[in-house]
Amino acid sequence: MSGPGAVAVTTPAPGRATALVPATVAMGRRALLSIVRQPATWVPGLVFPLLIAAVNAASLSRTVDLPGFPPVDSFLQFLLPATLIQGVLFGGIVGGADIALDIQDGFFDRLMSSPVARPAILLGRLGGAMVLGVVQALFFIGVFTLFGARVEGGPVAVAVLVVVAVLLAVSIGGFAAGIGLRTGSQEAVQNFFPLVFVLLFISSAFFPTALMTGWFQWVAERNPLSWMMNAARDLVISDLAFDDVVRAVGIACGFAVVTVSFAAMQLRRRVRMP
Amino acid sequence: MTATSPTPTAAGLTRPVGPAAGVVPVALALIRRSLLGTVRIPATFIPMIVMPLFFVIAFGGAFSSVTLLPGFPTDNILNWVAPFSVLQGASFAGFGSAFGAGRDLENGFFDRLLLAPSPRLALILGALGYSALRAFVPTVIVVSAVLLTGATVPGGVLAIAVLLLAAMGVAVSAGLWGLGVVYRTRTQRSGGLIQVGIFTAMFLSVGLVPLSQMEGTWLYWAARVNPITAVLGMARSGFVGDVTVDAVLPGVGALAAMIGLLGWFAWRGFRRLEG
Repeated sequence: MSGPGAVAVTTPAPGRATALVPATVAMGRRALLSIVRQPATWVPGLVFPLLIAAVNAASLSRTVDLPGFPPVDSFLQFLLPATLIQGVLFGGIVGGADIALDIQDGFFDRLMSSPVARPAILLGRLGGAMVLGVVQALFFIGVFTLFGARVEGGPVAVAVLVVVAVLLAVSIGGFAAGIGLRTGSQEAVQNFFPLVFVLLFISSAFFPTALMTGWFQWVAERNPLSWMMNAARDLVISDLAFDDVVRAVGIACGFAVVTVSFAAMQLRRRVRMP
Repeated sequence: MTATSPTPTAAGLTRPVGPAAGVVPVALALIRRSLLGTVRIPATFIPMIVMPLFFVIAFGGAFSSVTLLPGFPTDNILNWVAPFSVLQGASFAGFGSAFGAGRDLENGFFDRLLLAPSPRLALILGALGYSALRAFVPTVIVVSAVLLTGATVPGGVLAIAVLLLAAMGVAVSAGLWGLGVVYRTRTQRSGGLIQVGIFTAMFLSVGLVPLSQMEGTWLYWAARVNPITAVLGMARSGFVGDVTVDAVLPGVGALAAMIGLLGWFAWRGFRRLEG
């Protein structure tokens, strides 16, 4: 076995399936290595959200005085959760595309012919996405703090935001992995990215829904991303409240359960394919 | 081409036999070839249609309340975002032409063009002519869409003509930028770099709000020196009031400067490619 996969996947004793946990750790390590070795795939997920935040914060700074705008110190503070979630969504797609790459280049077939525990293939990828999610969350919160956008809920709110980011990374990673497993095509995974971007835009990510109008407002208010975004935003712009924590974590958990179930179904289907 | 008998090729080019063809006939043949390619691969048109419409919906929907800011030039957000969306689509049109040149470089067709006795300038003008023609698409799509959904055009037909001129200028500028990059990298994979340049130029401008709303921020200074700001002022002039010389002239000047500078960048890249 050569290539990045060879470094990390442990070889089981003959005739026995590798235990789930060691195999997951090995696959997760491989996923992380592939992320670290390909900065071109995740650096845009750090840079572009920051660029968009910088432009929006400068362009729309005066809108915080409009009636109906939530009480914030600055537009940058308002944008913190949106940037965090946007970055995590960008990064999560990478994991899904990588699993499709494994299928395209034949590594997935080699895994199938080995006694690796099957769930480890998916869980390892999601593990890599979780670690990337933690790094992204801390990076964005750090940069925003440097530019004066504080998290009013304090360290506990920061910890909750990191947990939300991790759950979202699992959610989008699960969705992308499911698409990758279903289609076996990196291009197909990438083609779903605009859909995620549209969902993000038609939400309360970049502007409060109270200041939107017409059908756009109607859709944005019913977009589950808005519900989670609002809860995460409350953690940033106001003091820590238990119901905000429950809403933010609960909705992110809901996303994760749905998308990981979808990915698991697709993995089962792929494993059974002749 | 008067002394030649053109021979059509599968790609749609006419090949002169004998003396070198003139700049215009070769450029027109290359435009025709690109148009044929677009008909054969309609998917290449999708970003030019989808992205501007997405910008109209996203910016018009999410930021509709920015028109409530004191001093905002219009109370209809569609009037404000439509020209910006058209120019975004036009930049995609230019990007597409550069992408096509990258494909030709990768598959060897460009080498065949260089071996032919065609004027070098025509190879660039063909790509740019195609970019300018493609700029019609986002202009027609976006203007039709916003007029159907409540936008008004106080400047009338002249406003749309000025918008089209701005769109064609942006498409040509983006095309020149893209060609300059592609001639140096010789690959379609430089598409990301081209897009970063285009996006940065478009967003560090008055895309979302006018200069007066940015005062005191870093973006104010960036937008002031960004020539796209003047082009946007020109494109928007007939959508927020009457078309005026004061609005159009700086835009035309900015387009001329961009085309001159980026044209030099592309031509230098082309010469390097030949060398």
